[in-house]
Amino acid sequence: MPVDSCKDAIELLLGYLDGELGPDVVSKLEQHFGGCAPCEEFLKAYRATPQLCKKALAAKMPQAMADSLTGFLRGALKKS
Amino acid sequence: MADAPCPFSEVDGPPLHAQCRLRVGFGDGTVGFLERARAGDLSAYEGLVAEHRDAVYGLALRFTRSEADAAEVTQEVFLRAWRALAELPTEERFGAWVRRVAANQSLSRLRHRKVASQVEVPPQGPEFTERGTLIDEVPDGARDAEGLSLDAELGRAIELASDALPEAHRQVFLLKDVDGLSYEEISEITGESVPAIKSRLHRARLAMRAAIDRFYRDGDNI
Ligand SMILES: [Zn+2]
Repeated sequence: MPVDSCKDAIELLLGYLDGELGPDVVSKLEQHFGGCAPCEEFLKAYRATPQLCKKALAAKMPQAMADSLTGFLRGALKKS
Repeated sequence: MADAPCPFSEVDGPPLHAQCRLRVGFGDGTVGFLERARAGDLSAYEGLVAEHRDAVYGLALRFTRSEADAAEVTQEVFLRAWRALAELPTEERFGAWVRRVAANQSLSRLRHRKVASQVEVPPQGPEFTERGTLIDEVPDGARDAEGLSLDAELGRAIELASDALPEAHRQVFLLKDVDGLSYEEISEITGESVPAIKSRLHRARLAMRAAIDRFYRDGDNI
């Protein structure tokens, strides 16, 4: 797999972070990152994206709903 | 007590091995909610539910975009989980199981719901020159590359960006990056192949990253 451009490098990021690329591709990729500041920066940003999104999209069940969940389970499970 | 019988013991049975206690989710020697719930203790089960309900509700809410649906899915999941406790010996397994069932339930609700079909815009990634060189438009220092801080405005921008993903991309992205399911679990739930899921995940992450970068570049007007 050639790594001739930033586009090639970015295409491989998921496989790279999942540890699924062969050693030759990894070394070409790391060589590109080493010589390309925007890609190196992009790699960091890409890697941080899931955690950031996870924090942003987390939801908490409202207390009233949590109370009715408890009530529902008590009713349903005591019968069973 | 290392070579005594433990495999997660029973309430009032022999004590758990230290390494098993960790797997059950408690390293401090106290008997955990899961063990007590597995022995039929309903109030311990309520404690277990309290620890996992936000994850289940959040998953269902993001998927169905309906508080009422998410509340019903959460009820159904924990009702079924009680009956499945015998097969869920660790809190990790319990957590994975409730997420998986929540995803299945949410998806089946979505499939039954008649939604006016929206025009889907393909996910947008970073921009390149004709020669494939990355165009980095975020000014130096403006981007918090490690993404450690999250303020309300950025959070809102991320919500809008995830809502704008094509539905199949959005689902894969949510299940993997927000809810932490494995590729194989997502494949079972969505019926897609693992390579297709990875491709969608990559496109979705690029689109999310592009949206976050636009936020850093332009301020809050995404
Ligand atoms: Zn590059």
